[in-house]
Amino acid sequence: MKKFSTAAVCAAFLSVGVSAGAIHAQTAEVLHWWTSGSEQAALAEVRKAFEAKGGTWVDTPIAGGSNARAAAVNRMLGGDPAAVFQFSIGQQLRELADQGLLANVGKVADEENWDEKLPPLIVKAAKYDGNYIAAPINIHGENWMFYNKAVLEDAGIDVPTSWDDFIAAAEKLKAAGVTPIGLGGQPWQERIMFNSVLLGVGGREFYADLYSTLDDDLLESDTMHQVFETFAALKPFVDESSPGRNWNEATNMVIKGDAAFQFMGDWAKGEIIAAGIEPGTTVGCAFAPAVDTAYIMTVDAFAFSAMDGEDATPAQEKMAQVMLEPDVQIAFNMKKGSIPARLDVPSDSFDSCAQTAIKTLQDKKTHLVSTGLFGVPSAVSGAIDDSISNFWNSADMSPKEGQEQFHEAISYAK
Amino acid sequence: MADPAQGVLQRSVENDAIQKTGRRRWRPQWTARMALIPAMTITIVCFYGFIIWTFVISLTRSRLLPVYKFTGFDQYVRLFANERWWTSMQNLAIHGFLFIGGCMVFGYLLAILIDRRVKAEGMYRTIFMLPLSMSFIVTGVIWQWVMNPGLGLQEAVRALGWDSFEFNWIVRPDRAIYTLAIAGIWQQVGLCMALFLAGLRNIDPNIWKASRVDGIPVWRVYLHIITPMLRTVFFTVFILMSAIVMKAFDLVVALTGGGPGFSSDLPARFVVDHILNRQELGLGAAGAFVLLCTVIAVISPYIYFELKKERGGRGH
Repeated sequence: MKKFSTAAVCAAFLSVGVSAGAIHAQTAEVLHWWTSGSEQAALAEVRKAFEAKGGTWVDTPIAGGSNARAAAVNRMLGGDPAAVFQFSIGQQLRELADQGLLANVGKVADEENWDEKLPPLIVKAAKYDGNYIAAPINIHGENWMFYNKAVLEDAGIDVPTSWDDFIAAAEKLKAAGVTPIGLGGQPWQERIMFNSVLLGVGGREFYADLYSTLDDDLLESDTMHQVFETFAALKPFVDESSPGRNWNEATNMVIKGDAAFQFMGDWAKGEIIAAGIEPGTTVGCAFAPAVDTAYIMTVDAFAFSAMDGEDATPAQEKMAQVMLEPDVQIAFNMKKGSIPARLDVPSDSFDSCAQTAIKTLQDKKTHLVSTGLFGVPSAVSGAIDDSISNFWNSADMSPKEGQEQFHEAISYAK
Repeated sequence: MADPAQGVLQRSVENDAIQKTGRRRWRPQWTARMALIPAMTITIVCFYGFIIWTFVISLTRSRLLPVYKFTGFDQYVRLFANERWWTSMQNLAIHGFLFIGGCMVFGYLLAILIDRRVKAEGMYRTIFMLPLSMSFIVTGVIWQWVMNPGLGLQEAVRALGWDSFEFNWIVRPDRAIYTLAIAGIWQQVGLCMALFLAGLRNIDPNIWKASRVDGIPVWRVYLHIITPMLRTVFFTVFILMSAIVMKAFDLVVALTGGGPGFSSDLPARFVVDHILNRQELGLGAAGAFVLLCTVIAVISPYIYFELKKERGGRGH
């Protein structure tokens, strides 16, 4: 720890304009990575609500999730923490809590009864030692399938509800000269598509068991083999320029009708709205084909640094409270394209896709977690991305080999 | 990571010190040593200190934060079982060979062409040097567009009517690594050219006169006389370019993102990715240390050989 602090102190020096220890009762510095237009607009809603309650918001945006996470950690180790910082909930956050670097907002959570209002899986991930160390602000869904309605109509196909249907539809589209799947060929995007296939072929129980236990038998099972076969069958439906493409470019392919489908998280709605289209109209949204209904959740959350001791300062408590206030949840999430973390917030003001998601989540059996952010340890998450991407991009790798290297990569990482 | 240029620099500083003390024998040597203290402290702490620390971390199970629970060589076992690591090491070898070789060959050829007193020499020099003013990130983005099959060169040539034209290396896992060398050479060749040109201009004109009298063809003069005389320039270029290869990170991030899959990944990107994005501090440190060992193993014999030869030469 001590040795690490040299580097951390250097990092602290770089963060200009922040005077150490200057913490006034109602001032909170908020470190986050939300720098794009819609993200900033969404966060501004939280800021407005916080300031309306008499708080002073010091904004520290740092572009790029990993940069921001590194900066937050370095500042903490250097003794000049940001009071509130955006972070992924899960194992990494618990590691910070292990070192006594985090404050808990258990008091606010008890008063507001978060336990009842948040999905249980998120409650579990946001707690350390029975106390909340983070405030989950929203839920993004990752098993969405966006599609261009006009393209589907022209080809005379319905929205597929099983992967066999999907493959048949994709053949038709390809014959008609449309790229069936607009895919951004980056590991995390390939993984999102893979997880949709996994959920679609294996079902929600299989998905939940597989990623919560990382069990060898499940990884070697026939179901898993089928998943890899289905995933491999999708390879011909992607255009040549896919590798390296950004997700928003792929979304634009669907908007323009160059591609028929995209498997992406619901942040793609931001691009659709930016193109002047109301999600659910000309660009439709549906869950990726699956044997049963489920929602693969990923969560944006804010954690709280220990300023003095384990208990949150009044400003931190106020922030936690504001973030989960129903009005703020609605205003924030409408701009962000996600849905409220609280399941008891009225859904009528949201678009049709979000309403579907909110309704789906009322059934707790549909709750699943993404492997990207908090479903599994980050080492495993990385290994999953690597091996999926390797399989997807190796033309000569058989589904059996793909399954084996997936298994092997996970067992070395866990 | 070892920066070979550092060693060269340090040596010349030492040499200067020796020369000074040699000329003025009455000045006690400790003043020179005193002057070196800041530089030495920085080198020892920031350089060797952190190498040792990296090694120590690589023996632990550290994830997000450094923890000092030692697990022996576990991280190395995991590293060597990692397919992505081996791909990136193999890529380093391919990229290093092509990039250094390409820069030297093309840089030297360009320098020779310019040295033949072409018209508008200044203009060519500027054109070849221009890419150097761009960062690797910008270079990567430009070439990403040029090589994108649906957007760049391939599409442009096909639009002209040559429908079967193919240039899709950047999206082919078996070829993506070569695109790194193309973009890298494009950027650095100007620097190599400038260094070679400086060397060529330093060649004694009498050599040319003599060779003309003897009737030796120009290409033979370059190959058998000038090239051996430029040995030190070749050495400098080699060291400079190897340093660039070893720390190649931004180019691969901007150009291919390590993809498709991880087919064009490089060790530096592997290390940064694992330390910063994946909270695998221990594994990343192990990777960094293995990379350092590899670099030392590959480069030090060459440096040793060259420096020994140089010193020996000066002695006569």
